Amino acid sequence: MNPIDIPTFQPRLKVLSREQVLAIHTAALEILEKTGFRMEHPDALKMLADAGCRVSDDNWVRMPGHLAEQALKSAPRQIALHDQKGNKTMPLVDGNPFYGTGSDTTFTHDLETGQRRRTVLQDIANFAKLVDGLENISFAMSMSNPEDVPIENIYVYAFAEIVKNTNKPIVFISDSGKDIAKIHQIACAVVGGEEEFRRKPFILNYSEAISPLRFPENVMEKLIFCAQKSIPICFPSGSNAGGGAPITLAGAMALGIAENLVGLTVHQMFGKGSPFLFGPNVSTLDMKSTVVSYGCPEWALTQAALADMRDELYGLPIWAYSGASDAKVMDAQAGAEAMFSIITSMLSRCNLIHDNGYLEYGGISSLEMVTMVNELVAMSRFFVQGIPVNEETLALEAIHRVGSVPGSMFLTDDHTFDNFTQAQFIPKLLDRSRYDTWEEEGAQDFYKRCNVEAKRILAEHQVEPKSDEILQAIDKIVQGG
Amino acid sequence: MSEFQALSEAVLKGDIKTAVAETQAAMDAGANIQDILDTGLIATMDEVGDRFSKGIIFVPQMLRSAKTMQECMKLITPLFQKGGVTSKGKVLIGTVKGDLHDIGKNLVLMMMEGAGFTITDLGVDVTPEKFAQKTQEIEPDIVAMSALLSTTMPSMPLTIEALQNAGVRDKVKIMIGGAPVTDKYAQEIKADAYASDAGSAVTKAKSLMGIS
Ligand code: B1M
Repeated sequence: MNPIDIPTFQPRLKVLSREQVLAIHTAALEILEKTGFRMEHPDALKMLADAGCRVSDDNWVRMPGHLAEQALKSAPRQIALHDQKGNKTMPLVDGNPFYGTGSDTTFTHDLETGQRRRTVLQDIANFAKLVDGLENISFAMSMSNPEDVPIENIYVYAFAEIVKNTNKPIVFISDSGKDIAKIHQIACAVVGGEEEFRRKPFILNYSEAISPLRFPENVMEKLIFCAQKSIPICFPSGSNAGGGAPITLAGAMALGIAENLVGLTVHQMFGKGSPFLFGPNVSTLDMKSTVVSYGCPEWALTQAALADMRDELYGLPIWAYSGASDAKVMDAQAGAEAMFSIITSMLSRCNLIHDNGYLEYGGISSLEMVTMVNELVAMSRFFVQGIPVNEETLALEAIHRVGSVPGSMFLTDDHTFDNFTQAQFIPKLLDRSRYDTWEEEGAQDFYKRCNVEAKRILAEHQVEPKSDEILQAIDKIVQGG
Repeated sequence: MSEFQALSEAVLKGDIKTAVAETQAAMDAGANIQDILDTGLIATMDEVGDRFSKGIIFVPQMLRSAKTMQECMKLITPLFQKGGVTSKGKVLIGTVKGDLHDIGKNLVLMMMEGAGFTITDLGVDVTPEKFAQKTQEIEPDIVAMSALLSTTMPSMPLTIEALQNAGVRDKVKIMIGGAPVTDKYAQEIKADAYASDAGSAVTKAKSLMGIS
């Protein structure tokens, strides 16, 4: 007789009770109803007024909570991000975490010299190619704010460069309604038209409202464009505790969520059912350095809390960060901070997790860091998978075989041979070699091994090329044709 | 020991009530207004700045001290014009065109105020023309620009150009700062000073004014 299967418990983090969730949500609605916000986009303002918001001087809006509740209902619960080949590689829903890089750093660590230098367009190509070659990094962002392209069109150049160097999904930045239209054109050119793009979107826009409670015209332009074209978008504001928001995390979350709900409400008014990735950025302002931290436990905690709010209430996939650090070089601090946010974001099942590979609180991008994160994500995935308990894994027969026959050992038992690749986490870059071997192989530390691996991938990995026709179309759009 | 010991301690602690009462008491006792300002308030804020840079106190404590000083200033400013009391200098500040980041700029502003400068804040997304027009209007000693985006850094040389066109470039010192801004960039665009954080913004502003 077959025993009944025991489902594997997959460890999951909870940091808020239902009461806490509801209290934060209620506070967010109260902010919108009582304090209100400034809406600087005329069409959005009109829509909000027509829907029953009170609008006073200075474009100040007070919004009844039910409008937000309505928008929460009409936004889709799943965002299916595809790769550029049309495969659904990133179903953003419930418990699926996906890791990717970040945008816009001013500096990068040169792979050859190790020096911190300004980023250029070639860096965008390198980061995209590296992402393409790393199995646990699911999407690409620019990772650079290149100094060698025309600054008015920086985000279009950045996007085109990513497209040319990876086929994975892309999260992109734009400045206003103008450049986002060009980026959308490029995306359509890649998949063969607007209809095809709508069915299988491979891009997601990252736009931000201004904490506290300000919604500038250019930001809303992007939001509305995305709503109308069904381009998935996230809209986190910078409600950092102590900076853009109150110092206490509950208040900072309530404010950030309130701002997100404004974005969502307007978004759904302009494109009912269009995909919207939920969630603010709630880090903290360090009170010594005045830096907004990218390695702090606060951010890890607030996004875990947001995941609880998703599960209890919102149902929408969420935006998050990890694999970043405030350290200036990829040292032990960088490793510790990166792992802290990676494992917690996975344990709480955040969905789209960006900024992996940041150093210096978002000032430096590092190819070595991204390579390290790839390994740390693998390690975390192993942990989160839990411990399957069944006849095979309980291994009573193997225990009996080895235990009852003197001189026999598990190492040579068939059960080990049959199971070791699944039963074990097999690291690629984390070093477990014996001391002498390690020394003979050059006594490399983790940073150095990541450096070598990043170089190897950039030299050897082949990105499946796009057709000349597509490449020409892209260049024409970038050049303004 | 300073004759404003109690005032000084209250400012250090950020005890607004006591500080205001001490200021009033000093005024009632006929103390020189300039002395209250220099010795009682500004010297204390220098000490606050010093403690902050040494990591002894944190930003909220520093800002509370600055606020305490502001409250005391309210009592003595009305007497300024009469007695001819001077401020450290007039500063016009703003975040440049296209840029909406303002937390860093506000911090710089508060620190400078704490150090005895008079500040006019133009807010965020400030066009070169606006900087130029306000400069003509209020004749500041320093024009201070903040930019957090590399895409908005070019607004800085454009603003300098606008000041030039308005014929006021040589009448002011120009200071710039913000995460992507560097000393080298300041030199390239011919600004007079660059500061990496709020504390050094104060030091740089003082040295631009020829005060230590
Ligand atoms: C005159 O003399 C001086 C002297 C010194 C001066 C000075 C002037 N001005 C500043 N200083 C100096 O002294 C201050 C105090 O010590 C310091 O000021 P700071 O501003 O550095 O420090 C503050 C006290 C705290 N720091 C901050 O407030 C900035 C923190 C980070 C996280 C940040 C935030 C919070 C925000 N952001 Co923005 N944001 C980032 C920042 C990353 C980071 N960790 O720094 C940065 C700056 N943002 C960036 C980006 C890209 C963007 N942001 C955007 C928006 C926002 C928010 C609105 C969400 C929010 C700002 C809210 C607000 N009210 O200001 C967008 C642009 C909006 C716009 N047009 O301005 C958007 C384009 C993102 C998007 N997808 O839309 C990046 C810029 C990259 C680049 N090289 O250009 C960024 C480095 C993050 C990143 N790595 O991607 C010093 O720089």
